[in-house]
Amino acid sequence: MASFTERMVPVLVLWLAVCLAETWAVDRGNFKTCDQSAFCKRQRALKPGESPYRALLETMELTNTRLTLQLINDNNKVRLLLELYRLQGNITRVKINELKPLKPRYEVPDVLIREPPTEPLSLLSQDENGVVLSLGSESQRVIISARPFRLDIMEGSDVLMSLNSRGLLTFEHLRMRKDTFSYKVTSTVASVWDNIKRVFSSQADPEAEKKEEADPANQAETTKEEEEKVEDGMWEETFKSHSDSKPNGPSAISLDFSLPGVEHVYGIPEHADTLRLKTTENGDPYRLYNLDVFQYELYNPMALYGAVPVMLAHNTQRTTGIFWLNAAETWVDISSNTAGKTVFGKMLDYVQGSSETPQTDVRWISESGIIDVFLMLGPTPKDVFSQYASLTGTQSFPPLASLGYHQCRWNYNDQEDVQSVDAGFDEHDIPYDFIWLDIEHTDGKRYFTWDPHKFATPKEMLQGLMDKKRKLVAIVDPHIKVDSNYKIHNEIRSKGFYIKNKDGGDYEGWCWPGSASYPDFFRADMRAWWASMFAYDQYEGSMENMYTWNDMNEPSVFNGPEVTMHKDTVHGAWEHRDVHNLYGFYVQMATAEGLIQRSGGIERPFVLTRAFFAGSQRYGAVWTGDNAAEWDHLKISIPMCLSLGLVGISFCGADVGGFFKSPSTELLVRWYQTGAYQPFFRAHAHLDTPRREPWLFGPENTALIREAVRQRYTLLPYWYQQFYHAHRTGEPIMRPLWVEYPQDPATFSCLNLFVCSQVWFDIHTFQKHNGAQNLYIPVTMSSIPVFQRGGSIIPRKVRVRRSSTCMEHDPYTLYVALNLQRTAEGELYIDDGHTFNYEKKEFIHRRLSFAKNILSSVNLAPDAQFTTRSWIERVVILGASKPSKVTLQTAGEYSQLEFDFDASMSVLTLRKPGMNAGADWTVMLQ
Amino acid sequence: MRHVTACFRKRKHGEFKCLSRSFKQVLAGFYETGRREFTVLDSDMRFQVIVAAVFWSGFVESRKVRGISSSYKRFYKERKSFLCIDGSKIIPFEQVNDDYCDCEDGSDEPGTSACPRGRFYCTNLGFRPHYIPSSRVNDGICDCCDASDEYNSPAHCQNTCWNLGQKERAYVEGQMRTLDEGLRLKQQLIEEGVLLWREKQAQLRELQQVAEDLQIKLEEHRRRKHEAERLKEQTLKALEAGDSGKGRILMRSCCNPYSITVDEVKTKVVLVHDEERLLSEDEALGLLGGGHQIDLTKFRRTLWDVLTRGDSVKVRSISLHFQHPPRCFFAAEWEATNLKKVEEAYETVNMEISDLRKKLAIDYGTDWEFLFLNSQCYKLKVYEYIYTLCPFNQVTQKNTAGTEVSLGTWGMWAGTPKNQYSQMVYENGEPCWQGGSRTTTVTLTCGTETALRSVKEPSKCQYIMDFQTPVACQPVLKQRGIHSEL
Repeated sequence: MASFTERMVPVLVLWLAVCLAETWAVDRGNFKTCDQSAFCKRQRALKPGESPYRALLETMELTNTRLTLQLINDNNKVRLLLELYRLQGNITRVKINELKPLKPRYEVPDVLIREPPTEPLSLLSQDENGVVLSLGSESQRVIISARPFRLDIMEGSDVLMSLNSRGLLTFEHLRMRKDTFSYKVTSTVASVWDNIKRVFSSQADPEAEKKEEADPANQAETTKEEEEKVEDGMWEETFKSHSDSKPNGPSAISLDFSLPGVEHVYGIPEHADTLRLKTTENGDPYRLYNLDVFQYELYNPMALYGAVPVMLAHNTQRTTGIFWLNAAETWVDISSNTAGKTVFGKMLDYVQGSSETPQTDVRWISESGIIDVFLMLGPTPKDVFSQYASLTGTQSFPPLASLGYHQCRWNYNDQEDVQSVDAGFDEHDIPYDFIWLDIEHTDGKRYFTWDPHKFATPKEMLQGLMDKKRKLVAIVDPHIKVDSNYKIHNEIRSKGFYIKNKDGGDYEGWCWPGSASYPDFFRADMRAWWASMFAYDQYEGSMENMYTWNDMNEPSVFNGPEVTMHKDTVHGAWEHRDVHNLYGFYVQMATAEGLIQRSGGIERPFVLTRAFFAGSQRYGAVWTGDNAAEWDHLKISIPMCLSLGLVGISFCGADVGGFFKSPSTELLVRWYQTGAYQPFFRAHAHLDTPRREPWLFGPENTALIREAVRQRYTLLPYWYQQFYHAHRTGEPIMRPLWVEYPQDPATFSCLNLFVCSQVWFDIHTFQKHNGAQNLYIPVTMSSIPVFQRGGSIIPRKVRVRRSSTCMEHDPYTLYVALNLQRTAEGELYIDDGHTFNYEKKEFIHRRLSFAKNILSSVNLAPDAQFTTRSWIERVVILGASKPSKVTLQTAGEYSQLEFDFDASMSVLTLRKPGMNAGADWTVMLQ
Repeated sequence: MRHVTACFRKRKHGEFKCLSRSFKQVLAGFYETGRREFTVLDSDMRFQVIVAAVFWSGFVESRKVRGISSSYKRFYKERKSFLCIDGSKIIPFEQVNDDYCDCEDGSDEPGTSACPRGRFYCTNLGFRPHYIPSSRVNDGICDCCDASDEYNSPAHCQNTCWNLGQKERAYVEGQMRTLDEGLRLKQQLIEEGVLLWREKQAQLRELQQVAEDLQIKLEEHRRRKHEAERLKEQTLKALEAGDSGKGRILMRSCCNPYSITVDEVKTKVVLVHDEERLLSEDEALGLLGGGHQIDLTKFRRTLWDVLTRGDSVKVRSISLHFQHPPRCFFAAEWEATNLKKVEEAYETVNMEISDLRKKLAIDYGTDWEFLFLNSQCYKLKVYEYIYTLCPFNQVTQKNTAGTEVSLGTWGMWAGTPKNQYSQMVYENGEPCWQGGSRTTTVTLTCGTETALRSVKEPSKCQYIMDFQTPVACQPVLKQRGIHSEL
């Protein structure tokens, strides 16, 4: 499926003009700029230059799997420990921590699916200036330069990536606060202890003296350290009325990366911005700090609900990625030596041959934790996806039904309302799979409960939906009403599972229920308890067709700084500052685990989350939060989901229709037509907006929406196979064109054209378009320009029924679109659609290929077993010529197939070949 | 109903008969003899017409074509080939219901789910026959009560038509009874309405008469007040002119507005039982409480008190003794007060008139049948709120804390063009948080009682109410029987 929404640009522009008059936007004053975030301001004040860090080559230790080396900051003599690993699959991991931190610094757990397997590193050469290591079998090398410290990754004579080449490595070491009594006492005790130690150790170890000199705790160096000036915001910081006590003082880290030859970088969601990242020199850096941003603004680097600290760099030769594993507040600066150049300037450079190599420089700044960065070296986009997947896992394989259409609203008022909306879909013959209940379904925003009047008999309601093979999602947010009559609250409190404020009491904030506390999802025992709450006997009124939605898990705290939690709250040994961006990740993890457990480990969960982090793809779906009913928001949903897909989170969607405000009918229809081709397809609306179920806009628009939803349903087999593929490989489902055409520079920032030597077929009219041209596709309200690429085979189920489950046993129609070589390939994946049995090899996976006038189905998983009642009812071959005879061979039998040939469109339709979808077969055109 | 083709092929003569589009109800009766008769009823049920199409009873159904109504059977007679009903294509007859869609219009697959635009006919013997979309055939969900749609599915569908039919018949009977009773009550209410209308009209006329009278009175009082003021001014002028003799006389005769003399009492007050006799000095003095001249305050406590009791003395009749009444300031004030009273009365009456006129200007239905709702209010408690509908006036919502919020005031009738009295709109209620104001749409349905049945708020600040009343009963309902769908 190719890019299509770009065609709406003229419409978008028009609408924008109308809307400019409105003043409706985020209250920016609620959120920090880099200047208002003390560590960002401090770090950003440092300009590129000679790095104070020096590699102490004599401290180098190289084992088979890892290299360690100390770095010293010549200004304050603080030492760092550099660890370098070569990981399997062309990944290099660089870890930098304080050699001897005052107390441990936070290292992000649970995001990596395992300790990444390493590959041997070997020393190629070494002298006093540096070390050269070989990275695996390729001609890749790492050069560690000693003075100043920098790290270059080379392939042949090309530099792929340089670290600290601009000297922006900083590591604010943990320190005692100097003006406090305790500091003085402790430092005195420490020096006494050091003296004692020296006496004893010098007797025991003659080498100790020598080592001592290099020790950062050494007295002489400490003196120098004391001279460092204390800046504002190091030990305390206030924003608006909120103060951050910062008991641990400054702890920021920063590192720069240079990417020679790179002009295009992508990723680091979530931002409401273009797919291609912009340079940030003239404004704020991109910010990664999970926040509940009310009425977010488009096209700026402000933080949103989720954070995935992964950036991809791409040029015609290579794709690489940087994964900065840090869960604290993070800012990313991007600069480029070509950013200011016009196209003409670039061409001039090219003609004159005098161009400096284009280069993009990136700088990451985090408030605390350590530097733990994975350099994913490609070289292809797909390699980077698989490299990242090997670290954080792939998209969870969702239940098939969750790929259908979801009908949501804040709120469906009561059971009767749910029933009548459900009936409305049948009356208007529009399929849907899930109806959703927002916060109002609960008893006073106490999650896991039901409003006793409006949802008095939830099981009855769920049974009614189940009778139609449909499902429901009920919201469960992580803020818990402080109410001694509420079981969940009492249990969490008595178990001590709440996040603590800096004074040790349960942290309380303000959210939907009023005063609320926040479970500490960083505790495994808390998560286990939370998961157990989803058991059918715990969660009253729940049934197996009820799933979960985690909202507000940034976490959102209405009266907190930047509408989130105070950074000095405490999670066991860690401050919220260290872990913030992980909160939503853990909430979804625990919830998904709960849904798995309630079924005894049999059923796949479905959990939607608003906040996320690297690795969240393993637990379900995300959506782009509280957008608005505006054309620009429809447009931004595409780059937002594309960006998420690039960093592993494929199951992405935006609220169809827009959450805030009320869409015009045209916008609503267009949004359905767009949403039908995005992975997560859910309509949602704010409480204060008028109703907008699909049939409320007159029969014509009902028909348009029905058609868009039906198109989605016919393509469900393809979506499902795509999700299976994403689950297996980590490749995105919705992808920008450059992923498919990495060598075609026109696709790199392609938003309104694509240039590809391919054939494309309009999936509705079968009209054929040749590639390598700019096309303007005229549209009407009823058309969605969607193309099937020549060379692909797409299985569809064209008998669209009430819900996806109703279509389970339906036959397939294969759409074979021939390319210029008259070949095509595709896959068909079938399983039970909802259990983990596919992990036990209970599925059908076929390769469908067309070549030399033979279409065949070959088993891709001979060791897998599954039987299906589905059969192939039709084969449509686009770009075909007329055969004289068509023969089907299956199970050793030959039979003649009837066919119909449309000469005007070159479409050959094979009538009712009838073979089972899981069988081996070939069809020969003669 | 809308699926019924308007044309029937009359086999015997090979001709077509088309039904006029004005026929709104086409009901098919089934006769087990193999004969098929099509009964066409017009919307008013005034007559029945047997149109066409008698099929030979000798016609043999050698193969059951699933999913079609008897009226369509003629398209599916077994021959070598089948013509798609839209005429677009001819296919071999074996391809009818072979689970592959050949015809654009879906007509070759009436009994399977193969065609996206197809439909399946549930015969539903004992209940209502109806069409379902082909996509509901064998989808594992029982749609036809005769279970005919799930002939190849794991769903275990029971034939529930008889039960449903029973229920439906009971329901329809109930509805009919309700309708009958409702219509009867409506007739009463119409009669009452007419009376009420007349009464209101009479009331209006009365009020208008009162208003006219008051108008006259008003003019008289204005004139008097004017006169009194004129005299007052004259007096004042005279006083100011310094004509002391005349002034003294005026003073003595009456014109100290702040005191009353014994002489004045003697001339103006008489005994109740002997009007002709002048009071003696002593009697007058007695009435004034012993002084020759008293001020107004004292007067109120003495003479006024006696006068108002009215059992011994009274003021001498004006016509006789006030023919040339003292033109004093007191009189001017008196007249002003009187005028004000009359003016107020006049205003009140006029307001009543305009209120009544406004009420009477509302459309209460062709027979004033909705008039009785005026000045009534109906309440309903839904969850934590009490809703009050006062028809033609306003809608309010009261929460448990007792705070009342307006959900709109009477706006207009907003029903269908066919029956505009089926819906009311109340608008401009309390403003909403996100702009706009609360509105309520009230749907009127037929029932034997007048009551508010349900209140919902499907979208914020948009309320819908179901209001039952006999006056919403429409005779046309009665003609929709069990056989409302072919």
